[in-house]
Amino acid sequence: MRYVLSRLFYSILVLWVVGTILFFMFRLMPGSPLTAFIDQTSTLEQQQALIARFGLDKSLFQQYLAFLGNLLQGDLGQSFFHRRPVMDVVLEALPNTIILTLSSLILAYVFGVLAGAYLAWRRGSVAEGIGIPIALATRAAPEFWLGMVLLAFFSFHLGWFPAGGANSVGLQYSSNWARVFSWDFLHHLILPMMTLAIYLQGLPLLLMRSNMLEVLQEEFVTMGKMKGLSSRTILLNHAARNAMLPVATAFALGVGNAIGGNVVVETVFSFPGLGRLLVNAVSASDYPLAQGAFLIITAVLITMNFIADISYRLLDPRIRIASSI
Amino acid sequence: MSITRRKLLGTSAFAALAATFVGLPGISLAQSTSPVRALTLYSRAQAANPQQYQAAELIAQAWSDLGLDVTVSGLPQNQLSDIVWYNRDTWDVTMWQMVGRPERSDPDEFVMNLFHSSNAATGFNFVGYNNPAYDAIAEAQRLEMNRDARKVLVAQAQQKINEDQPYAFLVYPTKSYAYNTAVFDGTTLVDAPGLGIKNFMTFITVNPTGTQRDLLMNVSNELNAINPYYISGAGDSWMTELIWDRIMRIGADGLPQPWAAESVTWNTEGTVATIVIRDGMTFHDGKPVRVEDMIFSLESPKKEGTAPMYRPFVDPIQAMTKVDDRTFTLTLAKPNAAFETSTLAKLNIIPEHIWAPLLTALAAGESAESVVEDTRVGSGPFKFERWNQSEVVLAADKGHFSQPKVDRVIMRVVLNVEAALGMVRSGEINFLTDYTGDPELLLSTAKDAGNIEVMDVVDIGFQFLAFNNRRPPFNDPVFRRALSYAIDRRLITGAAWNGFGRPANSHVSPALPFWYDASTEALPQGADLAKKMLADAGYTIVSGRLNYPAGVTEALK
Repeated sequence: MRYVLSRLFYSILVLWVVGTILFFMFRLMPGSPLTAFIDQTSTLEQQQALIARFGLDKSLFQQYLAFLGNLLQGDLGQSFFHRRPVMDVVLEALPNTIILTLSSLILAYVFGVLAGAYLAWRRGSVAEGIGIPIALATRAAPEFWLGMVLLAFFSFHLGWFPAGGANSVGLQYSSNWARVFSWDFLHHLILPMMTLAIYLQGLPLLLMRSNMLEVLQEEFVTMGKMKGLSSRTILLNHAARNAMLPVATAFALGVGNAIGGNVVVETVFSFPGLGRLLVNAVSASDYPLAQGAFLIITAVLITMNFIADISYRLLDPRIRIASSI
Repeated sequence: MSITRRKLLGTSAFAALAATFVGLPGISLAQSTSPVRALTLYSRAQAANPQQYQAAELIAQAWSDLGLDVTVSGLPQNQLSDIVWYNRDTWDVTMWQMVGRPERSDPDEFVMNLFHSSNAATGFNFVGYNNPAYDAIAEAQRLEMNRDARKVLVAQAQQKINEDQPYAFLVYPTKSYAYNTAVFDGTTLVDAPGLGIKNFMTFITVNPTGTQRDLLMNVSNELNAINPYYISGAGDSWMTELIWDRIMRIGADGLPQPWAAESVTWNTEGTVATIVIRDGMTFHDGKPVRVEDMIFSLESPKKEGTAPMYRPFVDPIQAMTKVDDRTFTLTLAKPNAAFETSTLAKLNIIPEHIWAPLLTALAAGESAESVVEDTRVGSGPFKFERWNQSEVVLAADKGHFSQPKVDRVIMRVVLNVEAALGMVRSGEINFLTDYTGDPELLLSTAKDAGNIEVMDVVDIGFQFLAFNNRRPPFNDPVFRRALSYAIDRRLITGAAWNGFGRPANSHVSPALPFWYDASTEALPQGADLAKKMLADAGYTIVSGRLNYPAGVTEALK
């Protein structure tokens, strides 16, 4: 329990530090938010009134205190551009992003873990000779390029998938749930999901492979072989389970990373989501929205980190014992 | 190579040293003139506007041949406008553009706003051009109600700008639109001068021939607002003009014609208009469109701070009076030839019963631009249905006096230009309304697909290079002319715009053939000419750098 509390305290500390850095970073950026916000023909008095309305006339420190106070109450402020509460704007874009992220992460990790284990088992084979360079190449390839290649082939050339968006043009659903569980949504999801999954699979694959190679040297594997267990049983039931621990951590952290890193995929596929919102907010100097979106991404990342820490203790008794000594 | 260079440097250093001792006249000349400072040429960032950036690089190259030290600096849009628009004394030269809009099909907006000295402090004359002779012509053309007489004045305005070169005009870009011939009857599209097939009239008249009765168009930017008092970008202005009707509309011939008004009649002096509105119009919520709504729409932006973007267009109105339930009069302080285009065909008819309470509830410093409505009620041919991060959906208003043939207009946000092209092919969209990619790719895609028709149009807007006329050496028209003549427009049109554009030298586009003065096309060009002009004006080259004429020193850093 004490461990959980101390991790929680650290998480909040990190969130505060990130929030503070974000706050000052956006204010030190060149370009006034007013250029994006106020029309070029408005008078000086109007501009000043607006500056006052958004509290931009106060000192930076006063603005910072107000920002922290609101943050404690879960109030991320009002978006300059969308003219709505930041929370509403972000929450609207979040479901699409989460579905895209999770589905591609799961795909990437299921594939990565299986392929990694297989390649480790078949060490020195032709399969490894082909598999590793492919995994490395796809991991190194830029996302937008991958996306464009998939788009060109599967959408433009074969016509199997739509070229963009999250739903067909003009379709409307009774609820967000109905929309997300529709065939149409899945149809639109596949290409961006594949792009992201191909981009993400390299890490679990390589991680799994190197862990497996290590585990396969362990005595209990030799023992299994001596007991006459089938390769399949040794591979899946004994070796893979042990090799998976670091991969589980990587997955948890990957969730946070991928939510922020979806910008490229969302832009290539015109997929509505948090990443696009973020880019638009930064380029328009929409401080509150950019801050809010970054903070939410940070919060997700920290939460996942926290969960990884806790789950690690549950998965591996050694850590539990070591920390209680 | 390096030895030779060092030798050369050694020699010149020695010469300079010797000259100091001996006091050669050549050196004393060099000391009495000062070099023109290093210049920064601003542009949009390369990724955001590759054409503009490449043009900037070509121009910087041409100018360095004249002995100028020019650096190209690409910036994001908002940083660029922060410098150019809000800190007008701080920059030297920048790439800029003016975009075509229906109401700009009257030359007044560009003639008056861009170069009249009254707009230099905060308005559109951001380059600070100040020429009383030009001001007089610009004012006169606005007052002249005779079209032929006005044409002469507009031509004079163009010649004046040609003489003074406050901008170096570069190119009128060609815009490409495309539509699916299997969905629409091509003969029912309206091809308007300067606007092409994507104009208000097309949305009304275009006839779907098969089962697909929705017009599916694209926009390449995120939308920020749909508000009758505000235009935040190109995309939302296409939506507002369909949702909210206007008293007049720009017709296929580029001229304003009565629309929500049955007639607009002027007195002989051109100062009082009598406007009779159509009978039986309703807003989308079922309430009738009244004379009061029209007056409200033209009056509300007049109040300080309500709608800064629209205010300049209602400023000429002195008074409005309701005559009866279908008639009102509108009085101008003085005749205004562009008024119908710039005001009656531009301002949205806004329901008073919805917006009067919204405007009253505005906080101090807040304008109507910041209001976000839950729904949007106009009286235009299309009703607002919904808007999210992916698309805007409008449905045809079956009761409108000019009922559209299509069932819905759906504008899809497609950020990836190539994907938009793929979508036209696959039928995900059927009207390509916003294409910024490679024009050749569009043409070849259309050729392969067989059911895509591409339509090009020369833009009313233009790409140009703006000199800061306030700052030396750009306050000298000779200097501006020389720098402008040094630019090879044909090269730039070909290399930067892929040949999809027309070399420019006037603020009135050839897309407006009645007003365009073709004599401005005879623009002398060439580096040798530019060098000679600078030399004649007293500028000298000292150790490769262009220096001011004797007696003029660099006043700025």
